[in-house]
Amino acid sequence: MHPAISVIFFTVTSGAGYGLFAITCLYNAINPHNALGSQGVLTASAIALALITMGLISSTFHLANPKNAWRAFSRIRTSWLAREGLLAVLFYPIAGIYMLTVWKGVDSYNWLVAISVFTALWAIATVFTTGMIYACLKTIRQWHNALTPVNYILLGVMLGGLVFLLLASMYTAATINLIINATYLIGIAATAKIVYFFWIGSPAGPTINTATAFTRSMVRLLDVGHTAGTFLTDEFGYQVARARLILLRWMVLLFAFAVPALVLWVGINMMPVATAVTIAVASAFTGVIIERWLFFAEARHVVNLYHGAQQC
Amino acid sequence: MPANLPQFEDHGNQEHKYTTCYMCACRCGIKVTVEGNQVRFIQGNKNHPINKGVLCAKGNAGIMKQNSPAKLTQPLMRREGSERGEGDFEPVSWETALDYLTERLRKIRETDPKKLAFFTGRDQMQALTGFWAQQFGTINWAAHGGFCSVNMAAAGLYTIGHAFWEFGDPDWDRTKYFMLWGVAEDHSSNPIKIGLEKLKRRGAKFVSINPVRTGYQAIADEWVPVKPGTDAMLALSMVHVLLKNDLFDWEYIVRYTNSTHLVVHTPLEKGDGLIYRNQEGKPLAWDLEKETFVDATLAEIKPALFGEYQTPEGITVKTAFTILAERYLADEYAPENATKVCGVPADMIERLAMEMAHVAFEESIEIKTEWTDWAGRKHDSFIGRPVSMHAMRGISAHSNGFQACRAIHLLQVLLGSVDVPGGHLAKPPYPKHVCPPIKPAKPKAPGEALDGPPLGFPTCPEDLVIDDDGNPLRIDKAYSWEAPVANHGLMHMVITNAVNGDPYPIDTLIFFMANMSWNSSMNTGKIRDLLREKDENGEYKLPFLTIVDAFHSEMVAFADLVLPDTTYLERYDTISMLDRPISEPDAVCDAIRAPVVEKTSDVRAWQEVMVEMASRLKFPAFINEDGSAKYKDYKDFIINYEKAPGIGFLAGWRGENGDKALRGEPNPKQWEKYIENECFFEYRLAKHERYYRFANKDYLEFANKAGFINSSEPIVMELYSETLQKFRLAGLGLYDGPQPKDERDQYRTSRFFDPLPEYFIPLEQRCTSPEEYPFHAITQRPMMMYHSWDSQNAWLRQILAQNYMYMNRQKAEEMGIEDLSWIWVESKTGRIRVQVKLMEGTEESTIWTWNAIGKQRGAWGLDPEANESNQGFLLNHLINEHLPCGDTGRPITNSDPITGQAAWYDLQVKVYPAKKGEIGVWPNFETIKPLPGSEGNKDTLRYQTHKAVGLNRSLKDILTRGETKRK
Amino acid sequence: MKLGLVIDLDTCVGCNACAVACKQWNTSGTTGPLTDFEPYGKDPTGVWFNRIRNYEVGDYPNSKTVHFPMSCMHCDDAACVTVCPTGASYKREEDGIVLVDQDKCMGCNYCAWACPYGARELDREDGVMKKCTLCVDRIYDQNLPEDERKPACVMTCPAHARYFGDFDDPNSEVSVITRERDGSALMPELGYEPVNKYLPPRSKKHVETYMNETNPISKVKDWVNRIVAR
Repeated sequence: MHPAISVIFFTVTSGAGYGLFAITCLYNAINPHNALGSQGVLTASAIALALITMGLISSTFHLANPKNAWRAFSRIRTSWLAREGLLAVLFYPIAGIYMLTVWKGVDSYNWLVAISVFTALWAIATVFTTGMIYACLKTIRQWHNALTPVNYILLGVMLGGLVFLLLASMYTAATINLIINATYLIGIAATAKIVYFFWIGSPAGPTINTATAFTRSMVRLLDVGHTAGTFLTDEFGYQVARARLILLRWMVLLFAFAVPALVLWVGINMMPVATAVTIAVASAFTGVIIERWLFFAEARHVVNLYHGAQQC
Repeated sequence: MPANLPQFEDHGNQEHKYTTCYMCACRCGIKVTVEGNQVRFIQGNKNHPINKGVLCAKGNAGIMKQNSPAKLTQPLMRREGSERGEGDFEPVSWETALDYLTERLRKIRETDPKKLAFFTGRDQMQALTGFWAQQFGTINWAAHGGFCSVNMAAAGLYTIGHAFWEFGDPDWDRTKYFMLWGVAEDHSSNPIKIGLEKLKRRGAKFVSINPVRTGYQAIADEWVPVKPGTDAMLALSMVHVLLKNDLFDWEYIVRYTNSTHLVVHTPLEKGDGLIYRNQEGKPLAWDLEKETFVDATLAEIKPALFGEYQTPEGITVKTAFTILAERYLADEYAPENATKVCGVPADMIERLAMEMAHVAFEESIEIKTEWTDWAGRKHDSFIGRPVSMHAMRGISAHSNGFQACRAIHLLQVLLGSVDVPGGHLAKPPYPKHVCPPIKPAKPKAPGEALDGPPLGFPTCPEDLVIDDDGNPLRIDKAYSWEAPVANHGLMHMVITNAVNGDPYPIDTLIFFMANMSWNSSMNTGKIRDLLREKDENGEYKLPFLTIVDAFHSEMVAFADLVLPDTTYLERYDTISMLDRPISEPDAVCDAIRAPVVEKTSDVRAWQEVMVEMASRLKFPAFINEDGSAKYKDYKDFIINYEKAPGIGFLAGWRGENGDKALRGEPNPKQWEKYIENECFFEYRLAKHERYYRFANKDYLEFANKAGFINSSEPIVMELYSETLQKFRLAGLGLYDGPQPKDERDQYRTSRFFDPLPEYFIPLEQRCTSPEEYPFHAITQRPMMMYHSWDSQNAWLRQILAQNYMYMNRQKAEEMGIEDLSWIWVESKTGRIRVQVKLMEGTEESTIWTWNAIGKQRGAWGLDPEANESNQGFLLNHLINEHLPCGDTGRPITNSDPITGQAAWYDLQVKVYPAKKGEIGVWPNFETIKPLPGSEGNKDTLRYQTHKAVGLNRSLKDILTRGETKRK
Repeated sequence: MKLGLVIDLDTCVGCNACAVACKQWNTSGTTGPLTDFEPYGKDPTGVWFNRIRNYEVGDYPNSKTVHFPMSCMHCDDAACVTVCPTGASYKREEDGIVLVDQDKCMGCNYCAWACPYGARELDREDGVMKKCTLCVDRIYDQNLPEDERKPACVMTCPAHARYFGDFDDPNSEVSVITRERDGSALMPELGYEPVNKYLPPRSKKHVETYMNETNPISKVKDWVNRIVAR
């Protein structure tokens, strides 16, 4: 699949935004008297919303006819994209209520927990729907599995967690527990991603034989029927050399997980916490952007079978 | 509109008009929907005999032809001081252009009319252009048949009285076994597709003989990958198998062929190999009952098929069939030997022959209809041998193609399958007598019309168009010793010969619809240089070149005068019975074109211009006694011109009231009648006139009356060709009449004019080492651009804008050649660098590419960056118009030695990988200048004849529909 | 009704007539124009609803070339419709035709991602997705002669390799021929239940070889003349 910059940016930033918002909610609910204070929580929430908004705006750049974007909520009955749109848009009033609650302060801890959990779940659900946009496509084996939404959620939460840690460090609230929790998030996300990489490596799914219904002999493409590329080859024909893919996978593991984890484990003792966390955040974003690019680049749409691929 | 849909089309604003397609040579009927002088839709005319409602990709792309940026819009003259080939033009008015041209032609006509050479390419009005040349008085006229498929046509007309494609079709509705020989995805288009589907649906077997498996071959039940140029050996080996097994239609051969005619057997003496004749010139046979020589043309004789006899004069004579059987029983033709030549496994050759024999003789069919044979005998049914064949360019375009086509016809005749139910059927006006009694015209005094058409059918050396010293009289050397039976001329030699002044220089050359500076010439680069060559005085050796075309082809740049033609949707045309017919086996058909849209620029149909020039030049047939123009315009000419009393260009609705078919007085309302009848005329033959027409009394009388033939005598198929033997004798110095003087002509006529079909190694191969040049290189016509003059078509070029050199995958891998790598392909003439594509369906010693995809930069309205001009290529650079045999003495055309058919497919090449960094197509040519007034191309094309009416799905439906799956 | 096409791979010669007929009709049809880019320049491309791909099955010399026309399969379980967020894509209740309402599409490409058959192409100029309409603007048009109320591709196919009809009717031509000729769907494992069916090439036709009982001929003298009246 052609990796569209707007979509990569959208999924990474909005995923991080929802992750940050969810973590902020949960952190604040679990530790109502934390060092961030309401100002810190509101700042975190605002940053999260900014990330989300940037992502959503970016996603519309992907539309060829954005004037009809408002119609995107019409088909929530069947479309994960419509659902994602709806959840994303409805998140704003919910986030607003949550922030209002924090800003005004509430007497009822239960109410805070309730609104926090609800908001966090909504945020996670939104990321889940983003993942489901891809996971529901049977045409792309690399996406069509439970790991896709899991990865989206875990990576969003991980990025959100790291950004939260960065903020916390500014409020000198980056406790060792928080740092350990962040490394847990990294570890879980890394595990899921590694499982994903192995998962998509095993050949399965349609072949040029099932695509053409000639199942008893070797089938080879003779001529694709057009000299120049088409929308289909541009959109789906994107292919990266195997060696480069492997390199990029290592880069994902390195930047998204290894460097942030190492910096948090080891670097923390060598430099100021804020510096270490900044490095971790920058590295993680770089890694996840590569991850997201790979997510598209490694996805082989079955239409490629008709363009000569033996298996997708 | 029902089903909750809006009305999409504004029918009130649309008109339906009928005409005839011209996107290739098939001439299908089309129904055109027009909306405000724009074409909304072109579809096949379901009532039309050729295409019965269907239409191919090209026909469907007519809109983009009509809107092509390559359309010429005004007459142009080469700018004074500019060089030919630069394409630097000045627009001129039609008056200026025609005044100039007429004046120039008048002088030529009054002094030496053969100094005008008029050659036409994709011409569908050869009867008119040929008549024009005849009236002008120049023998130098021909259409493109010489570089197309004259071998196919000539072999048929000299053997069975009809041939393939325009001349005959398989009986698609009844054939049970169909063998397709060498169709390089060319003729015909829709009729073959319609036919193949019909026979596959009926469960008939389809065998394809072709080195390449694409197109039609793809759907064959059996693919026989034959080595290019060896089809004759394959066919004759099957003949061998049939003879060995005593499997041929004995009665059919005795009755309808010249097999029983006695042939003089006096080796190395005059008269050897000629037919033994009585004093009236009738061929003689040996009557088995009377045991004496009898007139072989009589009915009820009992002629011997085999035997050797002594004549009263003491001459040994043998039946033609004895000679034939002796020849093909020889071991040379045994499958185990033939396989070494043609590459087809011996057991496969044997099996295919025996399968055909089985179908012909064990699965015969019978149509119960009473019919009368030529001798007045009644028969109650037609017996059919349901084996049919079709052959085309792959057979034709070799220097042994004439004999290869004859070999295929021999096979058909042995099976008794010519013009019988289920077999290969003639299409009126065919069959004709073998061969048609029209001789090529010889020169006349200046200012006079020729006695007949410039092209005809020589039957003996006396018919050659040569001077007293035996030198060619025609500029293309047709009907000379170099190509004695060149029935369609040798258009591919005209530029070379004219520039070299060999046999003589000319003054003016007119090309109509021919791209002779590009894909229609061999050795393109050299031809382009020749066109620019000047003499010591700085004058062009070819003084004046007029190009008539509707489009900005590569040839236009070389013109001194460009006359812009209309497109096919803008003009009147006739597709005449006098010309290349469009009949069906069971119906006599012709057609017209009538404008469906109005032309939008200052162009004129060439036929209109020809009629006007004919009057201006005062051609005898075009002026009244007082010298005034006889015909107002082209339409008037078509209505009123009569070739013979009652016979004109159009066969339908003749007679003053339009109530006569085929023959009748001119009808002033004839065009209107055609337009009323969807622009075609169809006269269906009665059931008893549809088969065995070579010997069918009612048909022969009908055809004679209609002017198709000029005698009702039966048509005798000539398996043994006395005509060829006469030329051979001349070559051997054993002929009372003209004889070739040049040793090479003596060799060529004596060697290749075999009275029986034979296989010989193609001429180029005879002087090319197979070790050095191991590959055969050929081209195919891509079906969606077949004829390939439509690469400028915005839709079709999206499908194919770049050609590759295709080769067998296993072979390439052995040679270390990778898919999509760059390779050099080198012949004795030159080399080209191209990109290779590996495939399974290519015979191992063959490489091939799509024809004419490569375009010169800037031609055809394309941007200079177009793929066709930067990745596309021509094979033509490798093919020499002269045999690349390094002989001293005069160069000899790279053509069939009998017919002069261009031997495109004889090409032998070597293939090797390009060096690292050698990437891109080579050679390249300069960019053609845009035409005056050309505005350049837009980045997008958004053709529509009206604003789209949307679907308008309701909001309610959007919001309330649940499951997308229907209940 | 369940309208759809049957493609006969046994007779398709890959001539592209259907593809161009489709282009021609639809560029002035309900989803027109079908924009072409660089129509006369480098790498010409454009919007097409029907494309012919060409394959080779098996190895030389036993290879078979197969021409493979593909357009929208009008799937019974059309994922392209399921995923469409705007409701621009829909499957008609009446006849199962899958359509895109151009006025409602936002050009997100999502439907194209969901389609395994490459049936949908974005018109980058209009910014909306376009696809085969099964000539919905022809087949119901009462102003056309009845025998012309067919998709343009079907009408034009010279090799009669395309059939159009109602798969809900077990006696329709498409249902019968699919049954008789073992028509199958492409990539059925994805479960989209494509309506269009492909007829496989017929099995190779077997012909008897002539069994000659007479003695084989080795020279001309082996023949004895027969009396046949001319």
